[in-house]
Amino acid sequence: MMVPVRCFTCGNVVAEHWEEFDERANDGDEDPEAVLDELGVERYCCRRMLVSHRDLVDVVSPYQ
Amino acid sequence: MTEEYDVEFVETGDRKARFLVRGVTPAFANGLRRAMVADVPTMAIDEVRFIENSSVMFDEQLALRLGLVPLTTPPEGEFVDGDTVTLSIDVEGPGTAYSGDLVSSDSLVQPAEDNVPIIDLKDDQRLEAEADALIERGKDHAKHQGGVAVGYRHLQRVEVEGDLPEFEDERSQIVRGVIEDDGELVPTSEFDDDLSNRYPGKEVSVEDVPNAFVFHVETDGSFTVDELVTRAVESLEARATELEEAVQL
Repeated sequence: MMVPVRCFTCGNVVAEHWEEFDERANDGDEDPEAVLDELGVERYCCRRMLVSHRDLVDVVSPYQ
Repeated sequence: MTEEYDVEFVETGDRKARFLVRGVTPAFANGLRRAMVADVPTMAIDEVRFIENSSVMFDEQLALRLGLVPLTTPPEGEFVDGDTVTLSIDVEGPGTAYSGDLVSSDSLVQPAEDNVPIIDLKDDQRLEAEADALIERGKDHAKHQGGVAVGYRHLQRVEVEGDLPEFEDERSQIVRGVIEDDGELVPTSEFDDDLSNRYPGKEVSVEDVPNAFVFHVETDGSFTVDELVTRAVESLEARATELEEAVQL
C-alpha cells in the first residue's frame, strides 16, 4: 500500500526516496536507473524496493 | 593475539565507510561484524497508542512503519535497557504524515530521517498517536539494528607475473573489494572491477592477504559509522571480560 520503510533484505531506509523517484521515473520520463544512482540507492536489493512498488492508497481509499 | 593490529581508512563518511584492519584473526573480524549488526543498542518505537486512526491502514500496520523509522541514539550511559521516550504524531488530511511530524519528548531522541512517508491521508482522515521508543539490540528486532549491510572481504594482493603471450586475447579478470598494489590501497571500483583495465597486456596473480580485512560499514542514521564501530568493539570487550571473570577459579 505505502512504500516499505526499509529494504527487506539489508534494512537500509528507502522510503525517503520514494516520492522523488515516483515523480521523476514513474510520472516523469527519466531513466529509473539514473534516478536511483543519483538518489544513492546502490544495492539491487534496495533498488527493487522502489522499482517494483505500486502505491495503492488511492485505489483503496474510496472503499473505506 | 600477538600480532599488532592496524586500521587504515579507504573511504570515510558519516553513514558509510570502508576501512582496512590488519593483524586480526578471521574469528575476530566476524565477531566484530556480528557485534555491529546485533549487539549495538539503538532506539526504536516499540509500542503505539492510537487516539485516532481513520486512515486506510490498520493500527498495527502503522505501528510497524513507525517502528522502522530510525531514531537518533543518545550518548552512552544516558539511557539504560528498559528506559522509554515518548513521541507523538498528529496529522490531519489531506496530506501525508511524515516521520518528521513525530514530536519527541527528549531532544536526544529524534527521527534520524524526516522524509519517510508514514501514511497518505485523504480528506477528513486523521492520525493521532502516542508512541514509546525504547533502547534494544539488533538481535531482539531488526528495527534496533544500527548497522546496515555490514560486511568484510579479504584484502587482495595483486602481483604482475609478466607479459601476456603475444597472440593471446586479453581476458577480463573481475575482482571486487580493495586490492593492494605495492602497498597502495586501491578500491576495485576505480578500474571498473576488472584487472585487465589496470594492467593491460600483463599476466597478474591475485591472492588473499592473510589476516587483513576490508570492512564495509553503513548505518541507518541512528549514529555515525565511528560510533557504531566503537560501540561494537566495546560490547565485544565487555563480553570477553565477562567471560574471563566467569571462568576464573
